[in-house]
Amino acid sequence: MDALHQILSPAFLLRNSVYISVLIGLACPLVGVYLVLRRLMFMGVALPQISATGVAFALSLPLWFGFQIRAHGAHSEHALAFVGSTVFSLAAILGLAFLERRGRGLPEGRLSTAYVVSGALGILLLAKNPYAERGWLDLLKGEVITVSNSDLALTAIALAVVLAVLVLFNKELLLVSFDRVMAVTLRKNILFWDALIYILIGLTVSMAVLSVGPLISFGFLLIPALTAHLFARNMLQFMISASIIGGTTGFVGFWLAYQWDWPVGPTHVVLLGLIYAVAWIFHRCLQLSRKELIS
Amino acid sequence: MKKRDTGQLVPSAGPTSGAYGCESVITLDDLSIGYDDQPVLSGISLSICRSTFTAILGANGSGKTTLLKTLLGLQPPVAGRILVCAPDEAPIIFGYVPQFAQFDPVYPLTGFDVALMGTYGRVRPGRPVPHRERAFTWECLRAASADAFARKRFNLLSGGQKQCVLIARGLATKPDVLVLDEPTAGVDAVATQALMEFISQIHEKRRLTILLATHDLALVRKHAQQVVWLYHGRIFRGPVAELLTPEGMAEILEIGIA
Repeated sequence: MDALHQILSPAFLLRNSVYISVLIGLACPLVGVYLVLRRLMFMGVALPQISATGVAFALSLPLWFGFQIRAHGAHSEHALAFVGSTVFSLAAILGLAFLERRGRGLPEGRLSTAYVVSGALGILLLAKNPYAERGWLDLLKGEVITVSNSDLALTAIALAVVLAVLVLFNKELLLVSFDRVMAVTLRKNILFWDALIYILIGLTVSMAVLSVGPLISFGFLLIPALTAHLFARNMLQFMISASIIGGTTGFVGFWLAYQWDWPVGPTHVVLLGLIYAVAWIFHRCLQLSRKELIS
Repeated sequence: MKKRDTGQLVPSAGPTSGAYGCESVITLDDLSIGYDDQPVLSGISLSICRSTFTAILGANGSGKTTLLKTLLGLQPPVAGRILVCAPDEAPIIFGYVPQFAQFDPVYPLTGFDVALMGTYGRVRPGRPVPHRERAFTWECLRAASADAFARKRFNLLSGGQKQCVLIARGLATKPDVLVLDEPTAGVDAVATQALMEFISQIHEKRRLTILLATHDLALVRKHAQQVVWLYHGRIFRGPVAELLTPEGMAEILEIGIA
């Protein structure tokens, strides 16, 4: 309990890391819901990895072109990483979605290849990069330790925008996901709404990867949504419960990691996995007991 | 009158007359339909009259769904044009009722949520669905006898119940034409009977133009007024009473085989 008191203290040194874990935990499942509904779960695995490669690529540019980031060092470095992460995320999701729409080839094959190649490429790019030693390699491994106030603010603003768009255009996003034919007959521009969903997913993933790394991003994108799906009776319940599971795990995971001196990222993901397993067993027991009652 | 040629809508002169002197709501003019510029059916010229119950009859793979998709604007015609006519110069509204089996059960939606989607065409993006539209959706669910199970999860409903919800959704669009794509596929005999009786009722009570794609000859004979029969790449059309007589059918089958 001592660790909990420390974490909750306003003077806690790593408070920004706690905030960002909770923030990512609350926001990622909201777009993760659409990945689950559209059966794009493999994309949820590949996308954070591709986004992380974008970070590594952007940080390699100064090395390749022979210039150094001096002015406002960490800020410029972060801005460069943000651009790399966002460009790679958006390019990947729009490219993969385009291929998906054309319906040719094997989508799982494309996503698996993108995942493994981008993972390897990210490691290669950072292997000889001086910025890797400044914490980027740790971040890409899922260590949430150094989060500046400006990083936190930027992440909060981006995720607030994502949340606002999701809430405002909930019915259009749901309609084009659930029944594209109906959307066309109602004269909805499905290309526009599809692009909006993909941009929201891309933006959230890039912000999450930049803040907490690909491992946690993947965990928070899919596992809370899958857990909530077991019990949700409607879309509102689904989205709210997924977000609450993510946000709570973001906090509890950080607490456990701090208490036992475990790495934060893996702790979050294992905790999410445990919650999913327990929820699944509980759900199964409920189903069996209902069947018994009926019979 | 509106003209749709390869998906574009432009104003045109006014209502046209159908083949039987009625007011035509949809006219297909030398239409070729297919995929990737490869026609599945060519030379389709016919009119669908307002307030009629028309069945598109054909075996699996005969082009029924392709014809419906082209009518709904989901895919462009390979050649020819589609003329659609709404009474008030507004774009024509299709109430589309698909087969229930095409929906992914992963969506946690209630029957009401699904039916409510019918109103989305009248609600601007970013605005919540107003109370009056919710009330209207309940009216449509009641009309389709689906209000009793509308609060249940859509994917847990029976085939017949799902189809009732989808018809309610079609009605919630306030359609000019209700388009039903094999609504009885996967539905048991008793529910099929009830469903078709209900479709006939709403056609009679609301004077709604109905376009029903099916391969069930008995249903067409019992409920439809006009029939468009797609057979071996050829199209036969006419009143059910004339076309689906033993003589008429024998003639079609002979022509088709020849």
